[in-house]
Amino acid sequence: MSNPALLLLQDVLEEPKLIDWEWLQENFWEDIVPALQGHIFLSVISVAVALVIALPVGVLSARYRKAYPPVTFVTGILYSIPSLALFAILISIPGVAIGPSPVIIALVAYSLLILIRNTVAGIDSVPPETIDAARGMGLTNRQILFRVELPLALPIIVAGIRIATVTIIGIATIGAYINGGGLGTLIFDGIGRQFPTMIIAGAVLATALAIIADLLLLALERYLRPWARARRT
Amino acid sequence: MIEFRQVSKTYPGSSNPVVKDLSFEVLEGEICVLVGPSGCGKTTSMRMVNRLIEITDGEILIDGEPNTSMSGTQLRRKIGYAIQQIGLFPHRTIAYNIGTVPNLLGWDKSRIKDRVNELLELVGLDADEYRDRYPAELSGGQQQRVGVARALAADPPIMLMDEPFGAVDPITRASLQDEFLRIQEDIKKTIVFVTHDIDEAIKIGNKIAILKQGGILAQYDTPENILSKPDSEFVSSFVGGDRVLKRLSLTRVGEMDLERANGGTDGLLRINEGLTVKDALSELIGSGHSRAVVEKDGENQLLTFEAIEDLMGGASGEPSNSGESSV
Repeated sequence: MSNPALLLLQDVLEEPKLIDWEWLQENFWEDIVPALQGHIFLSVISVAVALVIALPVGVLSARYRKAYPPVTFVTGILYSIPSLALFAILISIPGVAIGPSPVIIALVAYSLLILIRNTVAGIDSVPPETIDAARGMGLTNRQILFRVELPLALPIIVAGIRIATVTIIGIATIGAYINGGGLGTLIFDGIGRQFPTMIIAGAVLATALAIIADLLLLALERYLRPWARARRT
Repeated sequence: MIEFRQVSKTYPGSSNPVVKDLSFEVLEGEICVLVGPSGCGKTTSMRMVNRLIEITDGEILIDGEPNTSMSGTQLRRKIGYAIQQIGLFPHRTIAYNIGTVPNLLGWDKSRIKDRVNELLELVGLDADEYRDRYPAELSGGQQQRVGVARALAADPPIMLMDEPFGAVDPITRASLQDEFLRIQEDIKKTIVFVTHDIDEAIKIGNKIAILKQGGILAQYDTPENILSKPDSEFVSSFVGGDRVLKRLSLTRVGEMDLERANGGTDGLLRINEGLTVKDALSELIGSGHSRAVVEKDGENQLLTFEAIEDLMGGASGEPSNSGESSV
């Protein structure tokens, strides 16, 4: 058994191990952490940009009802394009380089529908008598929006952000296909090298990231909504 | 104080006005109740005062000035507003809710806090206990109280109230009405009060404006005169067949001129002088006697059917005596 040649042979013949802990340790700082950081970067930027677009569009759609069907139509089409195809289309546009920016554009496009719809639903959920009382006491339209409608729409808006975030964290893995970075690089590399450890590391981390982000947003929503806690006492 | 001059409202796209040529005046410190069947334009009329609804024709004067002389939001900050559905901000504490208008007017914090405490006590809620709660933690009746407190917050001379006690059970409602009248004795606001309930109108109003379909003023008068001299078929049927009894509910036993009892009151029903004559009459009939004893001014007095008839100037509902007392 101590014959080095035999040991080598055994190594080659052996199926690759499902999880190679040694590899994980050795490449933790070099491959895994940067991939995770890249993934968080892609997701946070995309959700933030999407919110900057979706909140005003949602508020305007709630106010001017005629704008809402075309808005949902356009964002609905964006939402239904297969992600791989969308990435391919984006990098074929002149001026859009391979890398994180087309990935972010695509992720923003995917989350618009959910975020806009939930913003409108959130504003619709505000009791009309609350708005009537606010107007009757002399709040301006702007004050009604920022002091009454948006705070009360918050739970539904945050629910939208949670769905959008989880979706984005999932789809972002495909961004590695066009060199967007993120945990997808581990998965694509692992497939290329037929090395399951990398695939599993990428998948597990992406899933964990999605769950943690969801729970953090839930906690944030609870924190921002003290009146809902009070209801149960 | 508030004067409607030929006020009409027609919504765009509709040919029928919801309010038509409405003219009447609400005097300072009086409660004017707008009452009528649904679709009579009473809420629309009220909401035109603070311009939540804009007038189509005519004008509304407040202290002689048209209510269009300032912006809608400025106007509304000067007029208290309370509605049936209350519309408290569910995401704000009771203190914040009550302090809404003072906040908009830029009062400093300590002044708002003092005012909130004062108002909570005024409407019968313990300030320390309720100040920091959220609306969902309060009962319907408590929320209605907070709604009234919020409308009073900046001490506006004028209040608009749209069925402010509508969303609670009859017992709570009656006690809220009593408290409201007690508060009004001190604060003497000029109030436009909307209800569909003629009994509430009679109880609350110094003046009652009865509106009919299409926003037409059927009669504008004191509760006493509305009950004793309805000037149309519509008004008398709206007021109801029991209008004679309703008139009795305007007077309390303690306000009647009664004969002294000369002994022999044993076995007779004793009636509290705070009861309305209507309730006293009911008890009197129930007692099976023709007389009951009222203790008033430290002596026993006799309440009789004759005394009640005298009060009505004959029970027929004809024009009443000028000396008649009313609440």
